[in-house]
Formats: sequence, structure tokens, C-alpha cells
Amino acid sequence: MNRILPRGAREISFFVWLLPLVLVCIGVFVIPVFQIVQLSFTDATLLKAGSSFSLTSYSNLLTNPDFASIIGVTLSFVVASVFLQVVLGFLIALYLDYGNTQGLHGLLIVRTAVLAAWAIPGVVIGIVWKMMFSEMDSGLITALCKLVIPGARLQFLSSPSAALVSSIIANTWRGTAYSMILLYAGLMSFPKDLNEAAAIDGANAMRRLFQIKIPVLAPLVLICILLVTVQTFNTFDMLMALTGGGPGRSTEVIALNIYKTIFTEFDLGRGSAAAVMLLLINIGMTGVYFRFLREKGK
Amino acid sequence: MKLKQTDRYVLSRFLFALGGILIFVFFVTPLFWTLSVSLKTIPELFSPNLVLWPAIPQFENYVKVFQNTMILVNLRNSLNITVSSVILILLLSLPSAFALSRVYFRGKKIWMFLILIFQMLSPVVVVIPLYRFFMHIGIYNQTWSLVLVYAATFAPFTVWYMKGYFDTCPVVLDEAARIDGATRMQTFLNIHIPVAMPGIVSVTILLVVQCWSQFILPLILLDDKKLFPIPVGLLDLQSSSDAITVHYLAAASIIGIIPVLVCFVVFQKYIVSALTQGAVKE
Repeated sequence: MNRILPRGAREISFFVWLLPLVLVCIGVFVIPVFQIVQLSFTDATLLKAGSSFSLTSYSNLLTNPDFASIIGVTLSFVVASVFLQVVLGFLIALYLDYGNTQGLHGLLIVRTAVLAAWAIPGVVIGIVWKMMFSEMDSGLITALCKLVIPGARLQFLSSPSAALVSSIIANTWRGTAYSMILLYAGLMSFPKDLNEAAAIDGANAMRRLFQIKIPVLAPLVLICILLVTVQTFNTFDMLMALTGGGPGRSTEVIALNIYKTIFTEFDLGRGSAAAVMLLLINIGMTGVYFRFLREKGK
Repeated sequence: MKLKQTDRYVLSRFLFALGGILIFVFFVTPLFWTLSVSLKTIPELFSPNLVLWPAIPQFENYVKVFQNTMILVNLRNSLNITVSSVILILLLSLPSAFALSRVYFRGKKIWMFLILIFQMLSPVVVVIPLYRFFMHIGIYNQTWSLVLVYAATFAPFTVWYMKGYFDTCPVVLDEAARIDGATRMQTFLNIHIPVAMPGIVSVTILLVVQCWSQFILPLILLDDKKLFPIPVGLLDLQSSSDAITVHYLAAASIIGIIPVLVCFVVFQKYIVSALTQGAVKE
């Protein structure tokens, strides 16, 4: 019966198909986002019910020296993690692609090992790396370091700067799989004749990599960087188990700060203001990604 | 000349193997170490020398963990939450993805953009108002309300991914079905769902892994230890354990990741295709 209906009528019936999604998105995204923005302009706390309009949460947030340090920690954590994950992911992707074209064995086991890290919950990754970085003599990394330099004083998690580096290493371990798989797919679909033509023209493997493969894959690398950046900004489950944000605030990234401000300091207004900052980062990154996808689609 | 070529061949194979071993060791060592710690005795935990693998693996550690912690309850909760969320996500997302793939309407680009924003949004941003709201209307600390939030959290990604998949199904199929007198619903259920099955399987596996790992939503929306899924249960266990019980924590961690790792290794090829397609397609 559908075909005799005018086009517009069919479109309306299709909105029924979208309706459940729309309702759920309004309930869980639109209204909460609206509320968090509203809350960020109040002096609300979790402890008392009422609240009144105020701009103090933003001024408190922006003038708080802790917040500057949190932004610094977040940026270091994100930039270093993304850089390491994408570079390491690309190297492993090249490795797998090379092995694939040469018909070598053992690739599946390497790929599985990398991907397995990605499938593990962040909290477990935090627990696992806390054991790896254990500062007791029986800790694996401590023991290995002491084999090389006996008597070294090692503080992987108890010194502020080392804790940030340790967190970045653990996060790289966790996230490299994503970049690897994305870039490996790009290499697999790489036009073979392009590579062969360059080889016939006498370009060696290095030149083929830097002058052909990387330029052709550049859009994909950019997509990969964007997606990994968003994920890294949003994450804190691993840090919660690994360092809890400490020592001090040396590994407290913005998402963890939001949680702590609201649920341990009960300051809903300031926590919401920080959440709005994260929201703006999310929206900004999505905008760049969306424009990029559209331009690529054209 | 011939010898030199053989040398180069041997060298390249050697370097290739070495590279593979390095990657493998870096990614497997933490898991190996956790397994090793989980099987140690207390003196081995405090040994001044490196104990790579316990002299006699203490499998009783696992028995103790099953007896003295909530890990089995956590496992059952994770299983419940994951299965019901994934079913709900698919029910919500597949029709919407199909509609977005098949009908052109004004403002569709904006819709797709909004869906993408929801996908990228940090759960920590929306969970705070939800926490207050759930407290207010009295559905805080309930598994079913948590499952609803999971469904909404992961639906945007699923819609985005499945729309890409439905886009690749030829429209000729729709037309043929319509000429045969099928309704949209029949076309969707009898033709597109079967055709899109590989995509549905991929996205399901990916959702299972993500629901299993989800941490911030249950941390904030649940209060009762009897309802905690694996990640929250393990964090709770971690906060109450110290150096002398770290082997139990290790054992509990191993127990908590075995289901998802098994699922992952078995369905690995679907995960690989899901991760790559979801990101690149519009």
C-alpha cells in the first residue's frame, strides 16, 4: 500500500522508526546537557537541596591554581598518549602489513596480543599496571631496573612527574590497538599498483613510505588522531585504579577532576563548570571530525 | 653476490621475528605478570628477588577469591547488564539506522551531527544530572535504570555504524520487495536484517566489550555492592586490599577479564571489521 501514498506521508511514517532513539537521546543527552549547563551557573552542592544563580563556580574554577594544573596534566596526558598510540599503532600496522605482503607467519598472534589489551576494562588495566609498577623489590619493573642499576631509587607511582609518565605508558599500552587496526585497514586497502609503480621507478622502501604511503594515508591518520584524542580526553577509569589522580593532583585529568569535585568535595557548581569545559572540548572535536568526514566524502 | 642476497634475506627475517617478539612481549607481559602474581604465595609476593613465576602455582588463591569476594556476583551482574543492554541497544538502533539510511529529509545532516556529538560525549558529563534525576524520582541504584542509560549511551555509535552498513545494501532490494507487495517493515525484517547480519554481529561484539568495560555509569548510578558489575566491584576490592592480599586482587582481575577475552579472541575478525568501518564511514 505504501507506493500509492504521497512521498511526504511515507516520510512521516518513517519518523515513527526514529522515535525511540529520539526519546532516549532527549532523556539521556539533551536534558542532562541542558541541566549541567544550568547547574554550572549555580552554587549548588550535593549536600543541600536549593541553589541560586551565581557565576562563582566559573570564577572559582578559572582562578583556582589547581584547575590550571589539571588542564596542564590533561593536555600532557592527552598529547603524549595520542602521539605514542598513533606512532606505535602505525609502526605495528606497517609491521603487520609488511608481514602480510611477504606471507610471513605469526602475525595473528602479534595482532591478538595488541588487541587483547584494548578489550580489557580500564579499571583492570589500572590494577594490572599498578602491579607492574609496584615499588617493592618484588615488582617486575623495579626488579628489572635494579638488575641494570643496582641500588637505584625507583618511584614509578609515588613521585609526581614519574606517575604521569607511568600513566601515559599504561594508557599507550591500552589504546595502541585502536590506531593499529584503523591504520592497518588503511594499509590493506592501499592501491597496490601505486606502490609497485614507485618500486619500478626505483624508490626504496623508505621513500615509498614517506612520499607515497604516508601522504595517501594522511586523512586516515587525521581521523585516527581525532578519535583517539576524544577517547583520551573522556577517560579516567584506568587512572582511578592506577593512581587515583595522585600523588597530589599530578595525574588528575579533567574527567577525573569532575568526578572528584562532585562526589568527594560535593561541589556541584564547580564540578558542573568543569564538565561544561569538557563538553565544549567534545563538541569542538566532533565538529572538526564531522567537517572532515564531509569533505572527504565529497 | 648470491651469498649476499641470502644474508640479507636471513637478516630481514631475523629482524622481522625480533620485532614481532618485542611487540608481543610488550603487550603480553602485564597480563602474564598478573597471572603470575595471582598464583603466588605470600612470601613470594614479598620476595626481595624477582619471582617471574611461582615455584608451585597456588590455585587455591582462586578458590579463596570465589569464596571470600563478591566476584561471582559481579560476574553475574556484568553478564545481566551486558546482555540486556546489548539487546535493548540493537532494538533501539537498528530501525533508526535503517530509517536514516533510506529516507531523505530536510535537516538530516544536522541529525547525523547530533548523533555524532552524543557518541563523542563523555558519559561523566551526562551522568551527574542523571544521578540527581534518578535520586529524585527514586530509580537510583537499580539495574534496569542503569541498563536504560547504557542503551542510550551506546545507541548513537550503533546507529552511526549500522547506517553506514545499511547504506551499502543496494536500494534495488527495497524496490524489488515493494513490487512484491512487502511493507517497509517486512522489507526491513526479512531482507535488510539478514543482509546486514555480518555488520550486526560486528557491532554486537564491540558493544559487549564496551558494556563489559563501562565504569563511570555504574560507579555513579549504583550504590549497592550486590549490584556492582566487574569494573566497579574490582575497584571496590582494590580499595580494600593491600600488599599482602594483592594476589587475590590479581586473581579477581583475571576472573573478571576471562569472559570478555574469550569472547574477543573467538570473534576477533568481527571486532577488527567493526572498528575500522565505524570510524571511516559517514
